[in-house]
Amino acid sequence: MLFETIVNSLSFGSLYALVALAMVIIYKTSEVPNFGQGEMAMLSTFVAFSLLATYKYSFVVSFVGALLFAAALGVFLEFTFLRRAKDPNILSLILITLGFEMILYGVASWKWGADQQLFPFPISDQDTFNLGPAVLSYLNLATVLITLLLMLMLFLFFRYTKVGIAMKATQQNAMAARINGIRTNRILSITWALSSMIGAVAGMLLAPIATLDPNLMLDPLLKGFSSAVLGGMTSLVGAALGGYILSIIENLFGKYVSLEFKSIVAFGIIVLVLCFKPSGLFARHYVRKV
Amino acid sequence: MKKGLVMMFGCWVVLSLILAPVAMAEQRGVTDTEIRIGQYGPQTGPAALWGAVARGSGLLFDMINDEGGIHGRKITYYLRDDGYMPARTKAIVKELVEDKGVFAMASGVGTAPGMAVKKYLDTNKVPWVGPATGSSHWAYPPTKYLFADYPLYIDEASILINYAVKTLGKKRIAIFYQNDDYGKEGVAGAEYALEKLGMKLVASVSVEPLDTDLSSHCMKLKEANPDVVLLWLLPKHGAIILGTAAKMGFSPQWMTTSTLSDTPIMFQITKGLFKGVIFTSFGELPDATTNPLMDKYNAAREKFAPKERWGVFYTAGILFVEPMVEALKRAGRDLTADSFVKAMESIKDFQGIGPKISYGPNQRQGSRASFLGKCGEGGKSEKLSGWMTSDVDLNVVLKKLGR
Repeated sequence: MLFETIVNSLSFGSLYALVALAMVIIYKTSEVPNFGQGEMAMLSTFVAFSLLATYKYSFVVSFVGALLFAAALGVFLEFTFLRRAKDPNILSLILITLGFEMILYGVASWKWGADQQLFPFPISDQDTFNLGPAVLSYLNLATVLITLLLMLMLFLFFRYTKVGIAMKATQQNAMAARINGIRTNRILSITWALSSMIGAVAGMLLAPIATLDPNLMLDPLLKGFSSAVLGGMTSLVGAALGGYILSIIENLFGKYVSLEFKSIVAFGIIVLVLCFKPSGLFARHYVRKV
Repeated sequence: MKKGLVMMFGCWVVLSLILAPVAMAEQRGVTDTEIRIGQYGPQTGPAALWGAVARGSGLLFDMINDEGGIHGRKITYYLRDDGYMPARTKAIVKELVEDKGVFAMASGVGTAPGMAVKKYLDTNKVPWVGPATGSSHWAYPPTKYLFADYPLYIDEASILINYAVKTLGKKRIAIFYQNDDYGKEGVAGAEYALEKLGMKLVASVSVEPLDTDLSSHCMKLKEANPDVVLLWLLPKHGAIILGTAAKMGFSPQWMTTSTLSDTPIMFQITKGLFKGVIFTSFGELPDATTNPLMDKYNAAREKFAPKERWGVFYTAGILFVEPMVEALKRAGRDLTADSFVKAMESIKDFQGIGPKISYGPNQRQGSRASFLGKCGEGGKSEKLSGWMTSDVDLNVVLKKLGR
């Protein structure tokens, strides 16, 4: 039973991890938790849905199309709004991201309506296989594998590519990075694009299970944010692990303590972490950038 | 001279203040040529699937106006989107009553949004007919201006249980419900009906409206090994739980309330898993009826709102306000809130596209009947039974709910 619960948590854990990663990538460069993340992902998922269902493109084309849209959306939001913010302090930037959230939610409701839609995904959530006593669908498996693959790619990206290293440099010290010839503004745009794409993947993996509507990402965003806080807002690895840990804790809590209070576990965790280890479980240290 | 002007102005202000209430004592929202009616309903947000109700009511009003109105008056209809947020509902209703000056409120989706404005409407003597929710709060205890015609969730649960046990011979019944008034009234009705049959729920599992991961909920249900599971949920959760259960190889007979009775949508978003689900219905099924009144409404839809899907919540919007239109006709040319209430109370065995509806002094629940349907191939639904009236003793159930 314990094993089954843990295995069942992996798929949603992966989704939380993806959202957490998307948030952390932006947070590290701009110190802003992007509350528009969920809606950005939702909108990209709707774009994929339109490409698939209305324009009848193949899944691969739609998937890639949605990723490109996500990247463009990320760049657009960063370039048009955040960069224009006068005297940006963290609070006003957070408010801007909340603004995104509402605008994008409105746009999606207006364009696609609020009816539940079936998101056609080539891998079925109904075809299953047994893993010990637990039953997993191929979609669950794909979710976990795609997430792991993305994490690996992110790791390689930050370690071995020029852009990735430039990004890390900007995250650590924007001023010094600029002095060394890195165009930090452009890096910031790329960060938003990257983060938005990761979110979009999460959206497209969630939609076939949860059905697609403008509320798709409300819950996952909160959980992803909690995961990031739990693992550490400044640590990619931490945020990803946070996603899995949160999902497992949630499901164990639901199983052994109370299903009614399952959904508030995440928020309890935020409070506890902020009280006792504000940098998160896996972030090495808490440095306040001045 | 100047002083005189000021004095005159002062007198004018005082006079107009004194005279204003007299002018307002005329019935709000009724003029020689129009009757103003308002409705709130979610056109966006988590419950927007049910927003069709408000548009359906609009169709009936359009149709009535097209036929020449009621006693020489046309209906002016104000539809506002509250996004299923009670705070917004409150603001909207205030605007409709105080600014637009509506005579009455029609239907309105959602228990929480409705509860947020119930008292306000009563204090301001605004007649309100057919809130689109099966909560028992509308008619119990009865209030003067509020008339309910949606079957009670309590009754729906009891009708489902009786059918499951007596007709299908099921023995182990569980319920999966949303953790709020809506879900809890379902549980209360189910518990009452089972107790009468000498049985008990084998499991009752709740879900929060925002939850997405339902795997632990599903495991808990499965462990109880029920042969019937009642669902008192949002459509989205209905889809997720059916998917999760299918994955876990858990396939009881699913039964659900009228809120999930939009079978074409449910069939589509569950990739066909909704087939075989038994549900209660508040009115004629749009795709399985030979009712001439339904045909008439459908023709009106083609004329006034050809883009609308002929779905169950759209027709429900018509159904919930049919008695209102009937009472407007009965009240005659001399229409006030009180004459309207009298006309409503005179309605006996009124037949629209729902069950037979009757009101009376102190009787504010128009009907306690429902019939059963089953989702078939492609989301087409079929009738399983005729109208069945619930035998629940509400005093007992409401007491249990702490009311």
